[in-house]
Amino acid sequence: MVKVKLENVTKRFGEIIAADNVNLTINDGEFFTFLGPSGCGKTTSMRMIAGLEFPTSGKVFYDGEDVTHEPSFKRNTGMVFQNYALWPHMKVEENVAYGLEVRKTPKDEVDKTVEDVLDLVGLAGMGDRFPNQLSGGQQQRVALARVLVIEPGILLLDEPLSNLDAKLRVEMREEIKSIQRKLGITTIYVTHDQEEAMAVSDRIAIQNKGAIVQVGTPKEIYDKPENLFIATFIGKGALIEGMVEEVGETIKVNIGASIIEGVNTGNVQLEDVQHVACVIRPESFFLDEPDVPCNVLEGVIEWYAFVGPIIEVKIIIGSSSFMIDAPTDREYVQGEKLTVYVPKAKTIVLPWMG
Amino acid sequence: MTLMDFSLEESWKKIRREFDLLTIVQTLIGYSSLIVFLVLPLFSMFTQAFMYQSSVSLHWIWDIITSTDFFSFASTGGRMWEVRRGLLIMWGSDHGIFMNSLMVAFYVTLICIVVGVALAMVMGRYDFPGKKIFQVALLVPLLATPFVNAYVIGKLFNPRNGLINWLLFDVLHLIPWKVDIDGLFGIMVAQALAYYPIVYMNTVASLNSLDPSLEEMAENLGAKGFRLFRTVTFPLILPGVAAGAIMTFIFSLEDLGAPIGFVGARANPLSRRVVSYQIYNSFAEALTGGISSNTAALAVLMLVVTAASYIGIRWYVNRRSYAMLSKGGRWAVRVRKPKPAIRGLIVVALVSLVLLAGMPQIGTVILATTDWATSGTLPTEVTGRFIQGLYANPEVRGAIFNSLLYSGIAVVVMVLVGSSIAYIVGKRDIPGKGILDTLATLPVAIPGISLAIGYFLFFSDVFAGTILDPLVDPALLLICAYSIRRLPFTTRSVGAGLQQVDKSLEESSMNLGANRSTTFFRIVLPLIIGHIINGAILGFVYSMSEVSASVTLGALREDRMPITYFISQIVYGAAATGSISIGAALCVMLMAVQIAAMAISNYILKQKSSFLGV
Repeated sequence: MVKVKLENVTKRFGEIIAADNVNLTINDGEFFTFLGPSGCGKTTSMRMIAGLEFPTSGKVFYDGEDVTHEPSFKRNTGMVFQNYALWPHMKVEENVAYGLEVRKTPKDEVDKTVEDVLDLVGLAGMGDRFPNQLSGGQQQRVALARVLVIEPGILLLDEPLSNLDAKLRVEMREEIKSIQRKLGITTIYVTHDQEEAMAVSDRIAIQNKGAIVQVGTPKEIYDKPENLFIATFIGKGALIEGMVEEVGETIKVNIGASIIEGVNTGNVQLEDVQHVACVIRPESFFLDEPDVPCNVLEGVIEWYAFVGPIIEVKIIIGSSSFMIDAPTDREYVQGEKLTVYVPKAKTIVLPWMG
Repeated sequence: MTLMDFSLEESWKKIRREFDLLTIVQTLIGYSSLIVFLVLPLFSMFTQAFMYQSSVSLHWIWDIITSTDFFSFASTGGRMWEVRRGLLIMWGSDHGIFMNSLMVAFYVTLICIVVGVALAMVMGRYDFPGKKIFQVALLVPLLATPFVNAYVIGKLFNPRNGLINWLLFDVLHLIPWKVDIDGLFGIMVAQALAYYPIVYMNTVASLNSLDPSLEEMAENLGAKGFRLFRTVTFPLILPGVAAGAIMTFIFSLEDLGAPIGFVGARANPLSRRVVSYQIYNSFAEALTGGISSNTAALAVLMLVVTAASYIGIRWYVNRRSYAMLSKGGRWAVRVRKPKPAIRGLIVVALVSLVLLAGMPQIGTVILATTDWATSGTLPTEVTGRFIQGLYANPEVRGAIFNSLLYSGIAVVVMVLVGSSIAYIVGKRDIPGKGILDTLATLPVAIPGISLAIGYFLFFSDVFAGTILDPLVDPALLLICAYSIRRLPFTTRSVGAGLQQVDKSLEESSMNLGANRSTTFFRIVLPLIIGHIINGAILGFVYSMSEVSASVTLGALREDRMPITYFISQIVYGAAATGSISIGAALCVMLMAVQIAAMAISNYILKQKSSFLGV
């Protein structure tokens, strides 16, 4: 298995900077995800690792070896494309056998391996079908089998689940994760779906406008977003604007009507009178005061919706609206006031971004 | 981008990366064939035209431009319209060879635009009985009957015993005089009848890609009828019309079939007063060792006219590619069913047009299967002896064999070169691919006769005494001429196939360890094979019926002649000998090949035979 390192990698397409001075190390056997909004450069970063795109400057290393200019076919990576890219003129087994055939593997060994891999991805007996005779989920499995068969050093997955329906997507991502664990293969995953990223990754790199803005475990990224973009991109948090009143153990923020306290999860020291945003996630609101230091906020219920385990309540606090995960055991009335408690440790304070 | 980003070593690595074996081979095939068989021959022709007393000079060009034999604003002969002794003579008036060519091409294009656009609107927008049949029948003029088509028209309008004059004047008394259509006017009629489908098909194509909601929006805002057509529909289909028109213009200018056919039918000297014929005629000089600078200059001038008009129109069309602007919504085609009276009128008009435009093809079949060539107004007996002659007569058999051989090899060459270029241009990002693209498109705008002059000058000089010397053996050059002239169409056909092969299909192959060559042969090629075969079939048909190079280079050695040259010789001498029927039989064979090819292309390969266009 392979350890990947990107060193000062920049990729320009004319005026557009798709990757902006990316520095990353992806560890051997790690499930690593590039997460970001569409057009942020995450696919370009992956394609440079695959050798399908080449950096304008910077270097790519596999296990310390410089592969920056090696073509894709010399890198022994396995990439699953967003559209699966199954060859329509070949049967499933021919698609899967392809990588072995170009490696001049003996015929009987190819047959055996193809059978095993189709079994692994749950497509035993489907070898003689053509791709257009398969469902989306099955095509996905073929795409996966096709790259697993060559025992790649790195498995690359470019938004592999984006063409599947919601239920299948959850099923497939669990399957991918379990196959990855079983094989212990270094895996790089690209997605714009943060829930998906959280669910499968060992570590996540958040990319925005070409640059990597934070790298960390899903928990680090969720709990300690380093800037406002990450804080609002990850989770369903809403924010309220304010000015820093006092910097101490907690940050006191004047939000106009009142002063709330929170924690700075960023790595930039905050100063007095600095323009900041307080980000609060739906699950951080409590209707009964918990046993931790809290901010107490007054809101007005705008609407609510029963979604099963909780009731989503939207409340207006000052000029901001927040979504609350509220318990189902009480009544909510539109237009009524609601007092909410937010633990100070869960109130994220970050510098305002224009 | 700063200089720091590109160290020499990095650039070298990039070049190494992009130029793998397949890319090098494909680039070399593309460039070498285009340079040797297009650029250098044209260069030789330009050299010949611009050298005077061993220095570069406009002498020869100037000679032509200032000569009243080539450009004359006053008529120097012929008759535009004249009624004399119960005969309406329509020959066209002589304004000098070059002006004549330009005027014929201009009027042919104009007629084709009017007829083609009107037809496209009627066929595209109205529903009437027999529409499916008309869709096929309207394309009949595309069936190749080189030389014989003009001969048939000349014969039909012969004032003495022409079938049409006899029918309309003697029998039906529909016209007050007999009509004598000949000379420049005859060439114009023959060309207009043959070329209107080009404008028609291009217009239909743009009409079909026109989002109906655009017209519906205009109607919604109150525009109707002609106003709607003038303000919305026509501007939107104009790029398609322009594309068809420029092809017509170029085809008309370079056409040799009509002039030679009319010379054969009627021997009117006015039929010879066009540029293409003059160049063709002076090719006889070639046999005795050279092409004069005057001829080269004439070929250069013609090339300049066609290339300039082509480039101008292409620039305009590229600037205004409207199709695909709007997305989504319904795409129900706006077809209306007009009132019965209008429907009847449409059918009558279309039947007349189909009959009129199909005359050359119908006439060719009659010539080939009856004694019409010698019987006068009407044929008197049906005979199979001309069709039999195709394999009974050793000379004819030889010509057929030659054409089959040349076309077969030319197809291989054009497919090899065409797909190499299409792949480089469509799928690779390497320096110089723009030049390759331009060079591969260029032959569309080059008159075949100019290319033939270039071939003669270049290869008889540089390759003198070798197998490539046309005076030694024109066969190889004919094959190359066919391939190069057809190359833009093959390249486009393959390119259209490549567009449907998503980039990721190749990338996934390379990702799995296949290098570019393996990827090309195992992934790309199987996916575009239908387009390649289609390009090959249409290229074969084209090569079989190619005229300009065949009647010039092909004339240089008797035992190497292709069928079109053979037909041209028969038709040319037909006025004297009356052996036209064997030429017509050859044309029937050509039509059969063409129909078979189009059927395979349409029904087996399911491709739209869009064989013409910018």
